[in-house]
Amino acid sequence: MKYLLLIYGNQEKWDSVRAEDWPKVVAEQEAFNKRYRDTGELIGAYGLSDAPTARLVRQKDGVPVVTDGPYLETREYIGSFYLLDVESEQRAYEIAADMPWARRDPVEVWPIMHESAADL
Amino acid sequence: MTARPAGRTDHPVESLLRELAPQVLAAVVRRYGQFDTAEDAVQEALIAAAEQWPRDGVPDNPRGWLVTVASRRLVDEMRSEHARRRREDALVAATPASELLARPADAEPVADRDDSLSLLFLCCHPALSAPSQIALTLRAVGGLTTAQIAAAFLVPETTMAQRISRAKQTIRASGVPFAMPAGPDRAERLRSVLHVLYLIFNEGYTATTGPNLTSPLLSDEAIRLTRWLRRLLPDDPEVAGLLALMLLTDARRPARTRPDGSLVPLAEQDRGKWDRQRIAEGVALITETLPRGPVGPYQLQAAIAAVHDEAEDVDSTDWPQILALYDLLEKVAPSPAVTLNRAVAVAKVHGPAAGLDLLATLESDRRMANHHRLLATRAHLLAESGDRAGAAANYRAAASRTASLPERRYLAARAAELTTG
Repeated sequence: MKYLLLIYGNQEKWDSVRAEDWPKVVAEQEAFNKRYRDTGELIGAYGLSDAPTARLVRQKDGVPVVTDGPYLETREYIGSFYLLDVESEQRAYEIAADMPWARRDPVEVWPIMHESAADL
Repeated sequence: MTARPAGRTDHPVESLLRELAPQVLAAVVRRYGQFDTAEDAVQEALIAAAEQWPRDGVPDNPRGWLVTVASRRLVDEMRSEHARRRREDALVAATPASELLARPADAEPVADRDDSLSLLFLCCHPALSAPSQIALTLRAVGGLTTAQIAAAFLVPETTMAQRISRAKQTIRASGVPFAMPAGPDRAERLRSVLHVLYLIFNEGYTATTGPNLTSPLLSDEAIRLTRWLRRLLPDDPEVAGLLALMLLTDARRPARTRPDGSLVPLAEQDRGKWDRQRIAEGVALITETLPRGPVGPYQLQAAIAAVHDEAEDVDSTDWPQILALYDLLEKVAPSPAVTLNRAVAVAKVHGPAAGLDLLATLESDRRMANHHRLLATRAHLLAESGDRAGAAANYRAAASRTASLPERRYLAARAAELTTG
């Protein structure tokens, strides 16, 4: 079963981590990533770059139109996301709780839709 | 996609290799120990054979060829790993060439059988999670490549490779010997082997799409491995029961989805599309097995599937018989899933109200109360009892709680029919 874990935040929240603490935060996250890549449960871990680099893309007359935004201001947005493939929902929760950031803020856990179906 | 002819292993060389894979691995492990490195070496030998045999022809003694090539790879690996040690050279020198080339004339078939079983039991070791047991079984016993297994489970090859390598490390760390477990342990381990085969079957039976048309259908692979297990353990009634259950379930595959991929419930399936040959085989198997006893959950589920498969249509189904079998199944292996299915049978025999009463007993379990399967079953029974609004609401709630895309489409369509129709 595949799950998406999401961590939310904003610039204010990232700024609240002291500069000298960042190496430890990063090292803890890397240890988490390695731990679950090694078990064959973590398919991918991705951090998003800051909101000012995000763009809105539309299609007009078959041509992409790119504009600045989204303007999130103080709202929280996705900081990073993780793709898991695990035995059970229970196991997804266990791994989410083991995420270093989960000691500070909740981690969102979303089941990913699949194509399997039971007999009806 | 209901049938994938391209996915079936109809190439004679590939079928032969997959048949030989567990025998060769068992022989190499028996000789050198080191399950994890032996497994890698056998995989390499299989890949070499898959390249060479179609071109150069199949050797006279294919099993001996594979054992020889795998042994050489293993020894090379041991040499490079322990370059300073001389022990391995002595080991190679001590292995008579004749032994590498052919099965010893006095080899006991029983020893072969036990080796194959030991291998399967090792792959389904209780220290491993179910996904690891499945991956290792498909590779070490099924002879599939990591890429094929990864494609079947829609994960990157690196993730699957990591899972397999971690599983092998876990087995090594556990220190379990390569041998048949004895006494009550053996029964326990056989149960987990059957469970792993059943999970592989379900993964393949339920998946409707896959990106890789050349990856073997997992349900076919599960049936192949269960047939093989039955040859090793012809007297075990649950092994026979599991094989019958797989055949009787798989028989319905051609009728369970429409060309657009949408699901067709059992009651509405075109039974003319069911695979009569599989049904005949499954029915014969469960009929000869049941009276022998002791009766277990796979035999009972197979018996239920047989009653469905033998009925002309949903109304001529012998529901009292199905209900009696579910009553028995609930005694032998109680679970919320069994209770849900029993509720449907109760509704057919005693009316929808009785079915709904039985469902109500599951609602005290908080996790079960909002489970999409419970909601969908309740929706079905409410519709049968004429409560269209209640049925629609439950179908909608079920649709929003399933992670299965085809089920969500089906449940949402049912809700819409009841709202507008």
